[in-house]
Amino acid sequence: MPPPRTREGRDHRDRDHHRAPRKEEAPEKWDWNCPETRCLLEDVFFRDEDYIRRGSEECQKFWAFFERLQKYQHLKTSQKEKDPGQPKHGIAALADLPCTYDPRYRINLSILGPDTRGRHGPGKGLPPERVSEFRRALLHYLDFQQKQAFGRLAKLQRERAALPIAQYGNRILQTLKEHQVVVVAGDTGCGKSTQVPQYLLAAGFSHVACTQPRRIACISLAKRVGFESLSQYGSQVGYQIRFESTRSAATKIVFLTVGLLLRQIQCEPRLPQYQVLIVDEVHERHLHNDFLLGVLQRLLPQRPDLKVILMSATINISLFSSYFSHAPVVQVPGRLFPITVVYQPQEAEQSASKSEKLDPRPFLRVLEAIDNKYPPEERGDLLVFLSGMAEISTVLDAAQAYATLTQRWVVLPLHSALSVADQDKVFDVAPAGVRKCILSTNIAETSVTIDGIRFVVDSGKVKEMSYDPQAKLQRLQEFWISQASAEQRKGRAGRTGPGVCYRLYAESDYDAFAPYPVPEIRRVALDALVLQMKSMSVGDPRTFPFIEPPPAASVETAILYLQDQGALDSSEALTPIGSLLAQLPVDVVIGKMMILGSMFSLAEPVLTIAAALSVQSPFTRSAQSNLDCATARRPLESDQGDPFTLFNVFNAWVQVKSERSGNSRKWCRRRGVEEHRLYEMANLRRQFKELLEDHGLLRGAQVVAPRDSYSRLQQRRERQTLHQLKRQHEEGGGRRRKVLRLQEDGCSSDEDHEGSASQRADSVDIQDVKFKLRHNLEQLQAAASSAQDLTRDQLALLKLVLGRGLYPQLAVPDAFNSGRKDSDQIFHTQAKQGTVLHPTCVFANSPEVLHTQGPEASGREGSQDGKDQMSCKHQLLAFVSLLETNKPYLVNCVRIPALQSLLLFSRSIDTNGDCSRLVADGWLELQLADSESAVRLLATSLRLRAHWESALDRQLAQQAQRRKLEQEEDPESPAVSPQEVAALSRELLQFMAAKVPYRLRRLTGLEAQNLYVGPQTITTAPSLPGLFGNSILSPHPTKGGYAVSDYLTYNCLTSDTDLYSDCLRSFWTCPHCGLHMPFTPLERIAHENTCPEAPSDGPGSEEAAPVPTQKTSALQRPYHCQP
Amino acid sequence: MASEAEPHPLGMFKCQLCALTAPYSYVGQKPPDTQAVVLLEESYIMKDPFSSDKARFLILGSRCSVCSRLVCVDPECSLFYSKRVCLPCVQKNISAFPQEIQQDVEKRKGASKKHSNRP
Ligand SMILES: [Zn+2]
Ligand SMILES: [Zn+2]
Repeated sequence: MPPPRTREGRDHRDRDHHRAPRKEEAPEKWDWNCPETRCLLEDVFFRDEDYIRRGSEECQKFWAFFERLQKYQHLKTSQKEKDPGQPKHGIAALADLPCTYDPRYRINLSILGPDTRGRHGPGKGLPPERVSEFRRALLHYLDFQQKQAFGRLAKLQRERAALPIAQYGNRILQTLKEHQVVVVAGDTGCGKSTQVPQYLLAAGFSHVACTQPRRIACISLAKRVGFESLSQYGSQVGYQIRFESTRSAATKIVFLTVGLLLRQIQCEPRLPQYQVLIVDEVHERHLHNDFLLGVLQRLLPQRPDLKVILMSATINISLFSSYFSHAPVVQVPGRLFPITVVYQPQEAEQSASKSEKLDPRPFLRVLEAIDNKYPPEERGDLLVFLSGMAEISTVLDAAQAYATLTQRWVVLPLHSALSVADQDKVFDVAPAGVRKCILSTNIAETSVTIDGIRFVVDSGKVKEMSYDPQAKLQRLQEFWISQASAEQRKGRAGRTGPGVCYRLYAESDYDAFAPYPVPEIRRVALDALVLQMKSMSVGDPRTFPFIEPPPAASVETAILYLQDQGALDSSEALTPIGSLLAQLPVDVVIGKMMILGSMFSLAEPVLTIAAALSVQSPFTRSAQSNLDCATARRPLESDQGDPFTLFNVFNAWVQVKSERSGNSRKWCRRRGVEEHRLYEMANLRRQFKELLEDHGLLRGAQVVAPRDSYSRLQQRRERQTLHQLKRQHEEGGGRRRKVLRLQEDGCSSDEDHEGSASQRADSVDIQDVKFKLRHNLEQLQAAASSAQDLTRDQLALLKLVLGRGLYPQLAVPDAFNSGRKDSDQIFHTQAKQGTVLHPTCVFANSPEVLHTQGPEASGREGSQDGKDQMSCKHQLLAFVSLLETNKPYLVNCVRIPALQSLLLFSRSIDTNGDCSRLVADGWLELQLADSESAVRLLATSLRLRAHWESALDRQLAQQAQRRKLEQEEDPESPAVSPQEVAALSRELLQFMAAKVPYRLRRLTGLEAQNLYVGPQTITTAPSLPGLFGNSILSPHPTKGGYAVSDYLTYNCLTSDTDLYSDCLRSFWTCPHCGLHMPFTPLERIAHENTCPEAPSDGPGSEEAAPVPTQKTSALQRPYHCQP
Repeated sequence: MASEAEPHPLGMFKCQLCALTAPYSYVGQKPPDTQAVVLLEESYIMKDPFSSDKARFLILGSRCSVCSRLVCVDPECSLFYSKRVCLPCVQKNISAFPQEIQQDVEKRKGASKKHSNRP
């Protein structure tokens, strides 16, 4: 906006112009600081097409510079002007140097259009001396800017040249010329990740991919390398992660995640798009990295022109080299100062103390020892490696008490569950005479590098997830670290100077450590990997030539699991849903949920839930015990289960963001919610949504155009402001290091946060800005508010979708739970007995909603002892994960009705003769009071499952077809019509609402072993056609009885009840055809299902209508019970 | 097709004194993408890598007007006094420069001897 010019002002200037010899008007009134003066000058010099633009940050910087310059010149002019000595000219080239010195001659640039501007432009009234004074200042400023930028450039180049790897660049390139694979080994800090890509660029390679295990690393490396190679970020150097790409036609090197490269291989197995492949951090032995190495080993002979560089820390290098037929190794020495190792094993009695809790005293002794031995003026911080978060908080408490006493330490925690801001604190500086004491998990071993560490304490322990394939259970267990990890930890003390490493174990312990950490492939569930291997057609996962093979049991479990999930069929081939799941880079159960949800038009809520279940819990630990937080959070809790609570939290948060944005931080704090996790959810949700759209499971977002041009303009303005805020934040270098306060409270006490937050109240919440730029808040808000309007039916369907997604991760409440304390509730899964609810679980505080005799639930004949109770309210818990720390915990549970869910989901259902006794998946027994309703439910479930399956298959097939044809939009009718979906939903809901009393019981091990009658020598074909629709019964080869479908086996259960009970008949008259004769209940149902006179009651769906074609004569004949 | 987003580097600039190397995208006196500034010598220029502003440029160096060596603008390598002169040439012809420059060069010599290993 131009400065307001009054009419008088213009007249005044006009008059001025007419008076030919311009009169100096009150020159003493000239004030450089006057905003209007500045405005006038900015009008002339800082136009949009100028080098500096008015209103920009640059403009502010200029004025600051201007003020400094003025002060300086004032000093200068008060000094006496020196008489310039006449220089003697030697050579011709220098003959025309100006004789009289003027600093202006030292500036090699000039501002254009100097005087032409003042005459006719907006600033024509400005006194020319002032204008030239201003121009001179501007010139100095531009020169200063050039010097500053060049200084940075020169510094950058010097630093690059000083990196240890700089000496090896040529050798790496030379070796790569002669070999297909080269291993570059060097420890963190040698510069390999940033420099090797640049050496390749400089050598003229132009199709380079560099994989990273972490997404964050892709972005930061692309930025760093783009910056260092002085190419503009986003052109020569780019990154590509899920749904985010800065890749363009000009990109010569791209940083991408291992997972993404694998997906590219999936599309183009020979990777024609790359010339060189850098695989970074191979020593970390991530699951996908190991797999990638296997894929590459096979690919290389087919692509002799493809070059591969494996980059590794100096850990087990020979393993990688020999895996690629003894590839040459270029080893880059690290830059380490000498480190003294002090072994301080803990006393035997202490470590054997009964308490599970870690003893913090050995750690405090090290703090004391440092205080006693090293004067405080000698700087150097302490890094303590602990096994996990609980251990960190134990030592944190003790160390903080010690720090308060001595005033010589600032204690800070560091682990991955901290918010980024809290993690960043470890990079801040301690005040003089005070040391930082950083308590860290192994995150600081290789991922996070902190400067200034002189002392390291190594507990020798690490907590890692281990996987028990038998129990299908993840365990967080404490292990001794490997020698390689111990060396990494030690090395952290010698990066900036000589250091000391205190090892809280004996040298003999060290000698007994495994040489290397256990690779991920040996300790995690392999479901996702096996699925990916299947979809990449790399052959049998059992025989794939991994660099180190996974345990055979893990592979078998994964295959079984994928079969249970319906991703693989019985011949281990991918099913349609399986091949889609393989393309969704998410957990199998989450992927299933999304696919199922999108069919029922529940995509929006399912997206939120899927995202919520894929990030760490947003509930802070400290808030667990905080009553205020618990109270504030209560209205958001859902007694349906944790996914719904998370769903509510996210939706409420989105509402807060769209209503009174600045307060979302406070809103979260009050409820003990880590806002960072909600941002992650929002990002993930968006990614999932794009995934579904990509795969044709969700119609592309309809762009909701604001109604009128005013609000459009408004919206554009808002976005501009946001962009500007973000740019300012980025150009300001983001966060600057600050000096820590002595009482820095690491464990995020709320008061502390409140304080610092209010200090920043006027500053920008950059997370909020980024959030609003990245997401369409209006759309999110619409989704969030529609969530409040979910009908009971939609909610029930949503639960069904979650249940089917999570199946077979089910737990049954123990029969005696209703008599137990809240905290003693136990649950059993098929593989694991006696699991408990995670303390964060909503049912942990309200287990009564899981009991069968709630206020309204007491069955008609319900015995009050809770055991073996007939009830129609039995429920199961579907859970997202089973995690064992000190106890086996069920994490993220939903309650679902037992009978109906089992009938709809189970891969195996076995019945007795009259179907009153059912066994689901060989571990849960259901006894129904009434055989007739049992058969009806079974028949309905058969029909619904078939219908549901066929709808799903048709939809997936159409989607696969569409992808194959690369069709973007398909105007044709969808494979499954909305009417059909509506009918299916209605029927499913009716089915779920069925009230049938039954007993639910987990079978004992012995019962489970003796479940079946076994194959029968005399095959007695039951003449019950139509009992289960049109299914053709055939004898089951192993269980006995008759296979009705691939999951239902009729009459195969051993039974101690009367063998002839199913032959008891009573007279009955068919209301439709009038047939009057003795029937067993099953025969009666069979007749009803197939009676030619019966009205077709197939509820609304074409396929489900009774098919009268296959009527055999047996139907109308009286039945005989065959011996 | 990518060139509109990114000025294609013309080549590598390399200072013949300190070996500083950087890609340049323009040589001349009128930096592209801005009409507001002209240069008083034929300079090797790149887009300012430290700024997101497209118009901002960074002068890497130019030829010494005495010996025609390609030198960077680092004060350890060259100076500008109405023309670019590399530091060796300045020292050889120090008397041709005004006192202010002479003093400056003296100061720099003293300072760089203390901590420098450059040629
Ligand atoms: Zn130079
Ligand atoms: Zn020269």
